Amino acid sequence: MRHTKRWIAAAAASASALVFAGCGSGGDGGDVVLTYATWSEDQKPAMEGIAEAFEAEHPDVDVQVQVLPWPEYWSTLQVGAAGRTAPDAFWMLADQFPAYAEGGQLLDIADAVADADVDLSAYPESVMDLYDTGEAIYGLPKDYDTNGIWFNKALFDDAGVPYPDDTWTWDDAHAAAQALTDADAGVWGIAAPIDRQGGYYNSIYQAGGQVIGDDGTAAIDSPEAVSGIEFWTRMQADGLSPTLQQLSDTEAVQMFMDGKVAMYFSGSFWAQRLYGDEEFRPNVGVAPLPTGEQRASMISGILNAGYAGTEHPEELAEFLVFASGEEAARIQAESGAVLPAYEGTQQAWLDAMPEFDLQVFVDAVDYSVPLPIAGNAAEWTGLETEYLTPAWNGEQSAAEAAAAYNAAIDEVLAE
Amino acid sequence: MTEPSLKPRKAAGSKATRRGEWILHLALAIAAAVMVAPFAWQLLTAFKTTGEASETPPTFWPAEPTADAFATFFDSVPVWSQFTVSVSALVLRVVGQLAVAALAGYAFARLRFPGRSILFGLFIAMLMVPSQLFLIGQFELIRDLELLDTIPALAIPGMFSAFGVFLMRQAFMSIPGAYEEAARLDGAGPLRTFWSVMLPMVRPTLGALAVLTSLYSWNDLLWPLIVSPRGDNRPLTVGLAGLQGQYGTDYPTLMAGALVASLPLIVIFLVLQRQFFNGIASSGLKG
Amino acid sequence: MTSESTAAARAAGPPARRRRRAGGLGPSPWWGYAMIAPAFIGLAALYLWPFLKTFTKSFMDTPAFGPGTWTGLDNYTELLGDGEFWQAFGNSAVYTAILLLGVPIAIVLAALVQQLSRGRAVYRVLYFLPVVTLPVAVSMVWRFIYNGDFGLLNWALSLVGIPGQYWVADATYAIYAIGVVGIWMSLGINLIILGAGLQSIPPELYEASSLDGAGRVRQFFRITLPLLSPSVFLVTVLTVISALQMFDLVFVMLRSVDNTALDDSKTIVYLFYEKAFVQFDQGYGAAIAIVLLGVIMIATALQFRLQRRWVFYD
Repeated sequence: MRHTKRWIAAAAASASALVFAGCGSGGDGGDVVLTYATWSEDQKPAMEGIAEAFEAEHPDVDVQVQVLPWPEYWSTLQVGAAGRTAPDAFWMLADQFPAYAEGGQLLDIADAVADADVDLSAYPESVMDLYDTGEAIYGLPKDYDTNGIWFNKALFDDAGVPYPDDTWTWDDAHAAAQALTDADAGVWGIAAPIDRQGGYYNSIYQAGGQVIGDDGTAAIDSPEAVSGIEFWTRMQADGLSPTLQQLSDTEAVQMFMDGKVAMYFSGSFWAQRLYGDEEFRPNVGVAPLPTGEQRASMISGILNAGYAGTEHPEELAEFLVFASGEEAARIQAESGAVLPAYEGTQQAWLDAMPEFDLQVFVDAVDYSVPLPIAGNAAEWTGLETEYLTPAWNGEQSAAEAAAAYNAAIDEVLAE
Repeated sequence: MTEPSLKPRKAAGSKATRRGEWILHLALAIAAAVMVAPFAWQLLTAFKTTGEASETPPTFWPAEPTADAFATFFDSVPVWSQFTVSVSALVLRVVGQLAVAALAGYAFARLRFPGRSILFGLFIAMLMVPSQLFLIGQFELIRDLELLDTIPALAIPGMFSAFGVFLMRQAFMSIPGAYEEAARLDGAGPLRTFWSVMLPMVRPTLGALAVLTSLYSWNDLLWPLIVSPRGDNRPLTVGLAGLQGQYGTDYPTLMAGALVASLPLIVIFLVLQRQFFNGIASSGLKG
Repeated sequence: MTSESTAAARAAGPPARRRRRAGGLGPSPWWGYAMIAPAFIGLAALYLWPFLKTFTKSFMDTPAFGPGTWTGLDNYTELLGDGEFWQAFGNSAVYTAILLLGVPIAIVLAALVQQLSRGRAVYRVLYFLPVVTLPVAVSMVWRFIYNGDFGLLNWALSLVGIPGQYWVADATYAIYAIGVVGIWMSLGINLIILGAGLQSIPPELYEASSLDGAGRVRQFFRITLPLLSPSVFLVTVLTVISALQMFDLVFVMLRSVDNTALDDSKTIVYLFYEKAFVQFDQGYGAAIAIVLLGVIMIATALQFRLQRRWVFYD
């Protein structure tokens, strides 16, 4: 009962807060309306908080946050931009970025960045590289994600295997996966899907290979890159992971949360979801990815970008700078939703989930590699499952599959 | 529920027919069970807790039935405003579609004018074009009409379906010419003939078209997203899809949302289906 | 519904026209134009014009944004050598064939429902439920049923000793699995059209043949099927068109995070969507759509040609 009452009181308080906030910022008050398109319902409260903070400084501007469903996000944005009416501000990803930037769809905010004296070194360099086009600045990073090992402590304890730590090598990871796999109990040591961002790109760079070489052509058939792929195909061949089909039916993170896989190599973005499951929470551990020839973790991040055809370029540029700035980063961090990009604001995110050793993801920035992007990345990454599945299924060697995929990537890049 | 026109045949009610009827019911009920099973699963899941719904292997009956999922759905989606948008768009689209399709269907079926078959062929050809192909062009038109973010934007393209015209033409063609002749001899003009004589006779088909149009309108997702760049006037499907976007593992809430969202459609069907089926027998189509 | 339609029009047409001319009462052609005007304007602006634009784009190399450059038939020749295109084509054909199997099922069910003296509406409503279920819910429920590890289907199969499969995660089965869902979703609408056709068959015909000693089965083949054939034709034509255009089931059922079956199970329209709206290649996508349109037109024309052999107009 007491809980209920407190809950009602809290709801009433926040409702009235909303009403007052609404009076202050929304509706008739703003002369300039900016729309801000995102795809995450989870992050909506944080984004609205940022919008409100911006409106407090700019009473004549009304920022409207809208959430588009992820499966339709890019087609909606594309049709809108092609039809000259995209949202003013929107989230952008690195693989989509080149098409929009080269197509002249993004607002150059270099002047606003200069006016506001933004310290560009406050953002992880590798994320800035993802969106680097030379002269223009088409937005600033909002957040970033790096990778680590999410592991199930209970399964490690049951198998008597020591927890992963920063001394782990590839061999340690493989040996642990072997010791943790218990076919009778339906438990696998690791989840090995064809996952570029959380999986095989990392091991390719850990082996000293590259996906796209320095000359701008595909390099995924080099011996180093192939050994990076073999890290995963060996897991499959030795039966240490659910098959690709099983992972299609039930996605890896779900298998991890169901206690069916002991290790899941993936991104910091799962933190909030894993933390949200209170029963499962105490079982979750985090460790850095194992070392191959060297340390490496993919890094990616969302860009707050603006539409070139906006009616209010000045206000929009100011908003974009603000939305990726320090205050906005703090609002994001406190919500726990994502790791904000702005240097020095990450502590609040770590504090939001003290039981998890999330520092791992912040440390990973030091050895992070920007997600490889070249040419029509959306097209050649789309070919990935077609070419790599035979290697994961054991129908082809990793070298054969990599060679075929390499040729396919080059063909796309040559267009 | 019995259809009057068929009563005489069954009136005998002998033991044999009654047993036959039971066997029929059994067969149809089995088929119905297969058809309804996924829907029933949706219903059961909506009353489970999030934990129970993602258990593997799954439980059948909810262990502790709860309506929390419905509460979550109503809390996180602006159900009423989106519901209003969905309904307004639906009404506009259905009314527009019925008017446009009935007029054109009648003209194609009963009036003679040069170029009739070519024009009709053009309509039919459009029926065969995948709808995704029109997206960009339709969007540009709505933008140029300055209708973005409005309810008419949601409804307009669907008002002009070639399918509706086709269906109405078929319906009008099936009406014996004598009715028209009689009206004409009474001195009724084409509009009056259409409105007072012909239209009432195709009411069942209008009902069917209304059901189908409602269906398409209610389930539409991509188009409403595209024509509301500012986020105003979005229908319920958008809210539901947004729910799925929250990492999509809260199955009970998703199922509860889907149930609530499809309820109006089921009501529309329930209301119109009798008129649709029973109307045909009395439409002067046969005997 | 269509039954007599064409036949009646064909038969009644010429004399009616003669009468009208004789009486001088025939409405002027302008009435016809006026009545189709709203439909025609909407069609031209919202369908024809966008279609022509896409048609033009199919001859262009299009960047993500901005105007394209004319490349003639390049997109089409590339298409012919594109294995992905042919595979998608094959998938769409298989899917269409599966959905056509749903037509006889619908006929039998419609005929059975028609036999009932009470409770017809109940069955119609139950069979119609899948039609009104939102695609999001459809995908979630069926993905659970098809799950290879703990799905309902594999559990049911195990009872009769048939080994289970990863139905939507295995490219060998995915398109069939989706086909079953397609039948499930379209059955309700087919039943409506067929039910309406059955309703229009005069009961006297059955009574007369009963007096002649004909059984139910014989009546079905001698009376029901022939008289229902115009409705069956309509259902078949619509099924083929919509099946060849299938997009949403692939979108909601196969497009999950790690689904390796998606690549080999794309349909034509899905491929078009992917090219045009994901990979920024509107021109190539347009060419795919135009070829599909050609196929649909040929398939439909063929059916209209063949209908003379099996559709019965009295």
